[in-house]
Amino acid sequence: MGLSTLSEWTGRIGELVIGASHAEGGTRSHVVRIGGERDLPYIGTHPSGHKPLVAYELADDPSLWPAAATRYIGDWVHDTADWAAYAEKEYTPDLIRLHLTSTRHRGFSDTSRIGTTIESVLQATRLPLIVEGSDDPAMDSAVYQKIGEAAEGERILLGTAEAGRYRSVAAAAMAYGHSVIAQSPIDINLAKQLNILLRETGLPSDRIAIDPYTGALGYGFEYSYSVMERIRYSALKGDTDLAMPMISSATDSLTVKEVREAQGSEAEKTAVAWELYSMLPATIAGASIVCVRHPLSIAGLKSAIDSLWNGENVEGV
Amino acid sequence: MPTVTFLPSFRKTEIAKGSTILEAAQKAGFHMNVVCGGQGKCGKCSVMVRSGDVEFDREKYGGFFSDEEAVQGACLSCQTRVMGDIRVLIPEGSLVQEQQILIDIDTPGVPLELNPAVWKYALALSPPTLDDQSPDLTRLLWGIEKSGGPKEGSIYAPLEVIREIPRVLRESGWKITATVALVPGGFRLIHVEKGDTTAHRYGAAVDLGTTTVVVYIRSLIDGSIVGIGSNYNRQISCGEDILSRVNYAKRGGLGKLQALAVESINAALTTASNSAGIDREDIYEVVVAGNTIMTHILMGIDPAYMIEEPYVPVVRRYLTTAAQRVGLAVGKNSGLFIFPAVSDFIGGDIIADILASGMAETNDISLLIDIGTNFEVVLGNRDWMFACAGAAGPALEGGEVLFGMRANPGAIEQVQLDLQTLKPSYRTIRNQRPKGLCGSGLIDLLAELLRACVIDRTGRINTAIPHERIRQGRQVPEFVVAWKEETGIGKDIVITENDIKALIMSKASVLAACQTLMNQAGIGREEIAQIYFSGAFGNYISKDHAITIGLIPEIPVERVITIGNGAIAGANIALLNRRKKRVIDEIARKIAYIELNADPTFMDEYTGSCFLPHTDLSLFPGVEKMLDQCRIVRELP
Repeated sequence: MGLSTLSEWTGRIGELVIGASHAEGGTRSHVVRIGGERDLPYIGTHPSGHKPLVAYELADDPSLWPAAATRYIGDWVHDTADWAAYAEKEYTPDLIRLHLTSTRHRGFSDTSRIGTTIESVLQATRLPLIVEGSDDPAMDSAVYQKIGEAAEGERILLGTAEAGRYRSVAAAAMAYGHSVIAQSPIDINLAKQLNILLRETGLPSDRIAIDPYTGALGYGFEYSYSVMERIRYSALKGDTDLAMPMISSATDSLTVKEVREAQGSEAEKTAVAWELYSMLPATIAGASIVCVRHPLSIAGLKSAIDSLWNGENVEGV
Repeated sequence: MPTVTFLPSFRKTEIAKGSTILEAAQKAGFHMNVVCGGQGKCGKCSVMVRSGDVEFDREKYGGFFSDEEAVQGACLSCQTRVMGDIRVLIPEGSLVQEQQILIDIDTPGVPLELNPAVWKYALALSPPTLDDQSPDLTRLLWGIEKSGGPKEGSIYAPLEVIREIPRVLRESGWKITATVALVPGGFRLIHVEKGDTTAHRYGAAVDLGTTTVVVYIRSLIDGSIVGIGSNYNRQISCGEDILSRVNYAKRGGLGKLQALAVESINAALTTASNSAGIDREDIYEVVVAGNTIMTHILMGIDPAYMIEEPYVPVVRRYLTTAAQRVGLAVGKNSGLFIFPAVSDFIGGDIIADILASGMAETNDISLLIDIGTNFEVVLGNRDWMFACAGAAGPALEGGEVLFGMRANPGAIEQVQLDLQTLKPSYRTIRNQRPKGLCGSGLIDLLAELLRACVIDRTGRINTAIPHERIRQGRQVPEFVVAWKEETGIGKDIVITENDIKALIMSKASVLAACQTLMNQAGIGREEIAQIYFSGAFGNYISKDHAITIGLIPEIPVERVITIGNGAIAGANIALLNRRKKRVIDEIARKIAYIELNADPTFMDEYTGSCFLPHTDLSLFPGVEKMLDQCRIVRELP
């Protein structure tokens, strides 16, 4: 008799849909579903829920993007739509995550350009979209309104709500039928609090993805891992305020000292390794979407996730 | 020496050049408001220098004053040096004001039994003769035994009393009254006087608080209250909070603090005995409950080592001595009983709270909470007890809140919001025009703002609500409680988002402490039979609102019981019933002190509690139901 690793959990992670097909009023070639787990990840011959997905992150203003990411892509970075289309074709991520870094310049006010950017990206790629808005509460309302409007019908995942500024994001998501990323600073209580706050604005809980905030490997990742585990345990034990799928992005991976200082052929390898070794464990802790910025990380990560999902040895990692 | 003239009273004092105005004011007998102990941090001791030469670093401390105030010569009295003859105006707000001192006692769980530790015997002794040459003392003690008192051989007579005996016996014609007390060493003859004074047998119960002193004088014949006195702890002029007192003691001020404590008690004793028309000499026992630092200072024991790691008090048992040895103005040889302390933070005042609540004498599990700037929480029953203490911060008492104030006249102490119009209706202390908000008013307001959905569960004001009372303040959003025209200070009284956050952090530390003790004991909120609130704060706040904001765990509100000033109540119980002194010692030994800083789950509980009422909403089912209904009301219009 083998040792069973399966547990009798009572809770179930909610399912979140990103993207809308033609039939649903959108323009995506396919939609993705995340969540649905009844158990810890990769356990059992038929793991529960949906397989973790890999999102490729890009930015509308590449000057505010890590050099390790833009260097490899080259000239494509100057046109956001081209960048998205090229990435979809060459590196086949599951989703595109667009960061509107242009909004981070002081005195930014050109919200109409955001609309144009989003429309062009939606045309350039058929993949479901995650969009990150401004990081300044003063312009949140205008920016999220514009994003929501431009992507109406496409059921995007909209980021990022935080405890101090969640109303604008939630309002845009509700008005235009999108979902929301709820980010809290590596703490299970704060994650739960934000979900309650969002719920009380009227946003249904099946339109929330938890971002417990992920530190890069060697830069606090173990804290994130532990909090993700705790969030997942609570959810599986029946806490519905934490029973949402998680999204993880080790934002700092490409700017850590080791990656910045790597020379020559080591530079590429170090960047990819850092993302891979941060994001693969994140899926083990329960993340449904992991995000990377170096295009070469996508293939390695997808194959490693496939291997774990199918119960094989992880090769090439 | 320069002369300092204080306005508006024109009181004058001379003081050495270079002294601070604060020192001059204290010398002149003013009780200045010195929250920080004279470190220039609180801004409460401000004065207006009208004329004369002073030294004051306006750049460093300018932030405390508006431009207008600066023009009028506003200075911090503790940071301003007198360089010549000056005239200084002390604004009313810079003086310690009359406050609601809680003197009510209520001992729900404990019937007041009368078993005092002092007896009086009126004796008519037969004078000695050549046939009967037994000594005076033996004759007297035999008389006591024959009157039903303790056996002759079991009474100890101290030298001071023996010296009095021959004269008193003869001058009184052998008709005397002997007073015997039961002290830890056994029976003790403490007084011998002429005639029959058995009708005058009194005791005093004292609550020696950091801020206030309360004294009850009770008849030890029938237990009745004959007089009550209260006043400020005069140590306030050496610093308002406990730490500044300890620091003052460290700087060589222990003797002065001890003297001020005694002076404060004596003043209250005088008030109480005068109102009762009794002689203080007829007070034969004094029972004092106070926090650890206060009782140590009263006994003249250096408290300095207690506030340093590893935080060990000098004694963890009750102390007894002669009241006169510390300077209390009561009967000669009268005993002084001091409640024991468990740790630096769990002092005799808390033991007195526990005694007054009766929680240590029942199988029911109770939670006892005493809130001030620091809070103490005790969980348990007759078999076991856990206690912890922590800092709640000054917000719940009105500190660090823009329009926060102590429970002085003019403080808004109750607030209600109309859920639809958001119009507040409030009540102030003494019905004066509002000057600010005190603790109970702040808790009301917090609960009402939550009910009205003006704030979310993290305390952020929803600025999207179009309403004249919700506006962007200087730095953060704020809610207007009272318009300028209705207040007594000439400006709008508001509560800011920062105030609300400070309040939430304060309440979270109390709730997290309760939860931590409950987790340690494996007790759920359903198993708690009563929650006892002791102290002034607990007496005035709304129990419903305390539960709504998650200051205390949710249990049926009728089982939340306020015991008023538990320290004075406990002292009264021990004074009237000597058998309770054993209970007191048992309580002190039974309590397991939980150091919150060393408990890894406390921080988690704290973060979970920084939410209204708590992140785990299932802990507050009643509040959730109520809030759901409020949300419906708010969305109706």
